[in-house]
Amino acid sequence: MDTTTFELLPVIWFVIIGLELALYVLLDGSNLGIGLLSLLPQKEENRSMMLHVMGPIWNANETWLLVAAGSLFGAFPLVYAIGLNALFVPAVVIAVGLIFRAASFAFYDVSSYGAFWTRAFGVGSLLVAVGHGLLFGGLLSGITIVDGHFGGGPFDFITPFSILFTIGLLSAYVVLGYSSLITKFDYALQVETFPRILGAAAVTFFALLGATLVLPRMDYIFMERWTTAPTSYILYLIAGAIAAVSIVLAYNAIMKKNPEQMHFFSMIIFVLGFAGMVVGIFPYIVPPAVSIFDVASPDQTLKFMLYGIGPILPIVLAYNWYLHKVFGSKFNREDAGYSG
Amino acid sequence: MESVLLLSRIQFGATAAFHILFPMMSIGLALYLFIMEVMWLRTGKQEYYHQLRFWLKIFVLTFAIGVASGFPMAFQFGMNWAAFSAFAGSFFGNILGFETTIAFTLETASLGILLFGWKYVSRTVHLIANFLVFFAASLSGFWIIAANSWMQVPKGVHVENGVIVIDNYFQAIFNPATLVTYTHTMFSAIISTLFVIAGIAAWALLKKEKTVEKTTFFLNSFKYAIAIMLIAAPLQVVVGDLIGVMVAKYQPEKFAAMELHYDTNVQGQGAPWSIIAIPNAENTGNDFEISIPNALSLVTTKSLTGEVKGLNDFAVENKPSRMESILTYYSVRIMIGLGFLMVVVSLIALWYWRRGKLTVEAIDMHPAFLRFWVWSIPAGLLAMEMGWMVREIGRQPWMIYGMLRTSNSLSSGLVDYILITVITAIVAIYVALMVLFIYFVRRIVEKGPDFNQTI
Repeated sequence: MDTTTFELLPVIWFVIIGLELALYVLLDGSNLGIGLLSLLPQKEENRSMMLHVMGPIWNANETWLLVAAGSLFGAFPLVYAIGLNALFVPAVVIAVGLIFRAASFAFYDVSSYGAFWTRAFGVGSLLVAVGHGLLFGGLLSGITIVDGHFGGGPFDFITPFSILFTIGLLSAYVVLGYSSLITKFDYALQVETFPRILGAAAVTFFALLGATLVLPRMDYIFMERWTTAPTSYILYLIAGAIAAVSIVLAYNAIMKKNPEQMHFFSMIIFVLGFAGMVVGIFPYIVPPAVSIFDVASPDQTLKFMLYGIGPILPIVLAYNWYLHKVFGSKFNREDAGYSG
Repeated sequence: MESVLLLSRIQFGATAAFHILFPMMSIGLALYLFIMEVMWLRTGKQEYYHQLRFWLKIFVLTFAIGVASGFPMAFQFGMNWAAFSAFAGSFFGNILGFETTIAFTLETASLGILLFGWKYVSRTVHLIANFLVFFAASLSGFWIIAANSWMQVPKGVHVENGVIVIDNYFQAIFNPATLVTYTHTMFSAIISTLFVIAGIAAWALLKKEKTVEKTTFFLNSFKYAIAIMLIAAPLQVVVGDLIGVMVAKYQPEKFAAMELHYDTNVQGQGAPWSIIAIPNAENTGNDFEISIPNALSLVTTKSLTGEVKGLNDFAVENKPSRMESILTYYSVRIMIGLGFLMVVVSLIALWYWRRGKLTVEAIDMHPAFLRFWVWSIPAGLLAMEMGWMVREIGRQPWMIYGMLRTSNSLSSGLVDYILITVITAIVAIYVALMVLFIYFVRRIVEKGPDFNQTI
């Protein structure tokens, strides 16, 4: 499976799926982070506000996961097959978490036991976030492939890397959640939350640093990317940018100012980290051996999907933007009832 | 291997059987909501506005549970059926990709405006959003049905190097099963939902303490549901017949199993249609059957003596097993029975309506009639489940008819104790969701519409 003749269509689809996934992680990452926050000790009233602030948008955000999954299934069916085959358990954890979260949103407003559903919402978010960590962590740890099928065991995804990666991702989501929360409405604990952001950011940093160090099976390509031009320059540039933005963020957090910028900056860090990961592994999509050129659907499928989905994506982006605009800042608590 | 195959089939069957209930109700409710909003904007009557706001609350629940229970469905194609996904992904995955990208995103975004947009957008934009929710839900359904129909009648592709290659997209998407199945499914969604609406309204009308306002409201819900049903239910019987003819032509093994029809009728003699049949242990004929002479030939070929191939004409490895045939056979009969029953009870309701019994003053005198409608709530949904049993179990032993066997579709390295754990967890969660859904719908109905609600 190491024939790597370069073709344009698989690259286009790789980029599209990458963007869809990045959007999903950014948009839903904030929601998941808010869900994780709701599990921390605090007033029940805050939990209910956390749930409400996402009311109109969480579903549209979650949609990007299905969009990315659908695009992956069509463009790289073998990745969908081998990946989910190998990562069966994390996929179940994500699915169960999504059910918990959706049920909490749907039942919260019609129930008299609001506290139960805010907890279910927190637990659901935790399951989804842990599932994300184990899924991506397991994928990056490398998947055993024999004769074009998954050839490993059901718990292969548990590696030192995937565990550290999960911890890092959870705390990164918390940073994203906090920073999105303080821009969305007058979160009563605004000032007090800054140290928490700092703490979460520190955990993210050390967990992901540790994860990078224990990444054993990736080193064949990952190390090469860091040591040879031009990828090395790009990676150092990205690392430098992440460091610079992190310092600004940390400064703001310590000085307790500019809450509006925090969400923007933490999103930038996410995007940069994601871009770094892509530069680090491209064109491999199921490490360590499967490249996008090995597993892409035939050109006719990739073209047909491009004609079908290509023109739609900008429209989808536009109405998602419209949705965020309509419900962005002027959304207030009285209108937040989910049951209309 | 055997056990993980059976477990994976159970897992998929359980997930699908539960999931499908909610998108079907969402499609039906979306149509009802759209009609209500159009009527409200055209007539300006608050009555329609309250209908819209009230049933929207229940739509929120069906939509949310539909989305949540859909994820395990989509993931399972990779988790449990990796060989199928690798084999057919370049078409099947492509179509599911269209479903999520083109249809589902539109539905969620429009729903955001429908639910929360009352104060933020103009009435026209709101109406458009309402229409788009119905349109997108229906479009979603189209892509799913197209993908599933292609598994029944896989046209437009050939197999090369162990995977499918698409020759003609149009033939593959609009294969002979797609449009007839889509029509059948859409009618089924609408009729099932109308039975739910009418049944819920009947339940609310049975309550002792209710205001005139509330009684009028639920009587109207009941009447609107009946009015739409009177158009849809008879048409569904016709479409159902078309689908039978399609199956007989393209999947003769499934059709024979649907009828437990073993021996091909001799030329010049018609094949009988049986009402009850019990096949023998060898699966070569029926030990017992009650049948109407020539009826199967007539229904299938529109001729009294037309040839209908029997199960004995097909090799054992290419047709459903005895148990699968029995399940298919009785599912068809329950579905058809419910179908006719639904036409009859709609007509009875019309008769009550015309006789002036569906009024605020008279309705309390007909508790038996109302109770009957409460019991009929699951009728349409049950018929729909039976239809899917026929379609999916009757296709066995194939995953993709004539192309890929179910037994060759599995993921590798599946472990039975993990599957058992997952099935137990999923079933427990789904039972809990169903109980909560019914509980909260009850609560919403008991509370009734909020007549003071303004925009």
